[in-house]
Amino acid sequence: MMRKVYIRSFCALKPGAEEPDYKSLLTMMEARRMTPLMKRAVWTAAKALEEAGLDCPQAILCGTQWGCLANTESFFKSLHGLDERAPSPTHFMQSTHNTIASMLAIRLKCHGYNATYSHSEISFESALLDAFLQIGAGKADNALVGAYEEMPPLFGEMFHSTADVAAAFVLTAEAEGALCTLEDVQLLRGGNAAVPSKPLALSLAEALPCKGTLTLQGGGTGRSQSLIRLCGN
Amino acid sequence: MPSRILITGFGVVSSIGRGKEESLVALREGRRALATPRYLKTSLMHLPVGEVDIPNRPGVPRTVLLGEMALREAVTEAKLGPADLAKAALISGTTVGGMDLTESAFPAYGGPHDCGSTTEAMADALGGFSMATTLSTACSSAANALILGAELIHAGKAEIVAAGGSECLSDYHLNGFNSLMILDSELCRPFDKTRAGLNLGEGAAFLILESEESVLKRGVKPIAELAGYANACDAFHQTASSPDGEGAFLAMQAALKMAGLQPGDVDYVNAHGTGTPNNDPSESAALRRLFGNALPPVSSTKGLTGHTTSASGSIEASFCLLAMQHSFLPANAGWTEADPDCILPYTALGESRSVNVALCNAFGFGGNDSSLCLKKV
Repeated sequence: MMRKVYIRSFCALKPGAEEPDYKSLLTMMEARRMTPLMKRAVWTAAKALEEAGLDCPQAILCGTQWGCLANTESFFKSLHGLDERAPSPTHFMQSTHNTIASMLAIRLKCHGYNATYSHSEISFESALLDAFLQIGAGKADNALVGAYEEMPPLFGEMFHSTADVAAAFVLTAEAEGALCTLEDVQLLRGGNAAVPSKPLALSLAEALPCKGTLTLQGGGTGRSQSLIRLCGN
Repeated sequence: MPSRILITGFGVVSSIGRGKEESLVALREGRRALATPRYLKTSLMHLPVGEVDIPNRPGVPRTVLLGEMALREAVTEAKLGPADLAKAALISGTTVGGMDLTESAFPAYGGPHDCGSTTEAMADALGGFSMATTLSTACSSAANALILGAELIHAGKAEIVAAGGSECLSDYHLNGFNSLMILDSELCRPFDKTRAGLNLGEGAAFLILESEESVLKRGVKPIAELAGYANACDAFHQTASSPDGEGAFLAMQAALKMAGLQPGDVDYVNAHGTGTPNNDPSESAALRRLFGNALPPVSSTKGLTGHTTSASGSIEASFCLLAMQHSFLPANAGWTEADPDCILPYTALGESRSVNVALCNAFGFGGNDSSLCLKKV
């Protein structure tokens, strides 16, 4: 028997919005070492956790199609002679997709479940499904689930893509103070669903707190789509 | 009491073998398959790597070629027909994805290189699969794909899951590991006093996980049980492991607890054992904390295959299954000199040893540490 899962809090930065003032969260030295996406991730996670009254979530999950692409691009440019600097180990080690989830675990000192999903446009939904299962099965009582994307200039032009997402959600097993119940998360292949206009993490943030029942659809040009069902409390 | 997660088929591809038969022969002989690159285009031609002996196919990421080969072997052994595949889930683990295409086509656009696109291409190649997703937790990606697969079955969201991982070599991550100065220009020597780093490898493996109910319904014979698993975070450093191996210890301990087993029940540990100065003592500390003075045989198979990064969790779980089926232990290649900070690995060849319970470790950048507990049925 699976437990009920609730969305307790969230923090989402609107694409193109002004950068928050990170001084309250990061020292100058820390801020200088981080890419803008990493700073947005620290900010959104901190705000969502604060709202939920949590210091260290029992599970940390992130979804990202491209990972820390600015660092990937910097390392790639050095390799391909587009940057005179030698390939930087910092750019490499902070270019893997799991950089953000593990950076959050290191900052928050969380030794619990930690995973990152990278499945095209349903990366966040995959992380949400995993959190839904972890809490539903009683393996965690709460989870931080983030969606993070950035598109640096060279790869943006190559991929004909723009992406700018930073959102964090706290899921819990507790009904008290919840914004809604997360009834179900489904990943589906090969459907004929219309391509949604925005990433699911952003439409979810806009839908909260939700009244009544609501189905949100995610996906994109890839073969997989997602459906999530919410129920207002 | 949740239903057991049974394994009804597996497929494995690495530099030591394209499929289970070749892999078994190489494991029994302790044959190392590490040499300078033949298929990879890179500026670092002097470094030994573990390449799978299959040619590149224009326009297809090698991650897909390797993954498709392993997935087909697994699906065939599990006797999954089109109707079974139609409702099955595919969970893959990768980090490199199709980066090889991006770099070989550059500055032209070589097609999307994102991780998920390689999983979808594998699903399309076999046909079916009602759902698919991709874990990307660096070198523990495939182990975490197996964990999600098992959770999907426990939750009743799937009856049959093909889970594992696939990763090709790329110039990008060979240079990345090189910039971190953790590649050995000689053959790697996990747990040895003179170890100087890892050799990178490539490969793929998928396991077919199935609910007991589905196994009975289909009348297939299970190979083993995925009796326990755990994912923990070392939460220490972006690339280095903690000196006390906290994440590794937590993962192994929780995997055994879930399986309802004691450390004394473990017959074999396939270690992460990369051969870097940092990983091996950290993992050794975790092993000593868990097993005390009663350490079971431990070996790293990365001295044979190289470190197959995101795919290593499912490749090495497959090696554990071969050890169970054929009653032998894979030897830790490249080890000659003891290091007081490291465990003494198992190095014997040709011994007959029964394996009922095996632990398989996979640790990634960022302290993404996972451990799997496999049990004979």
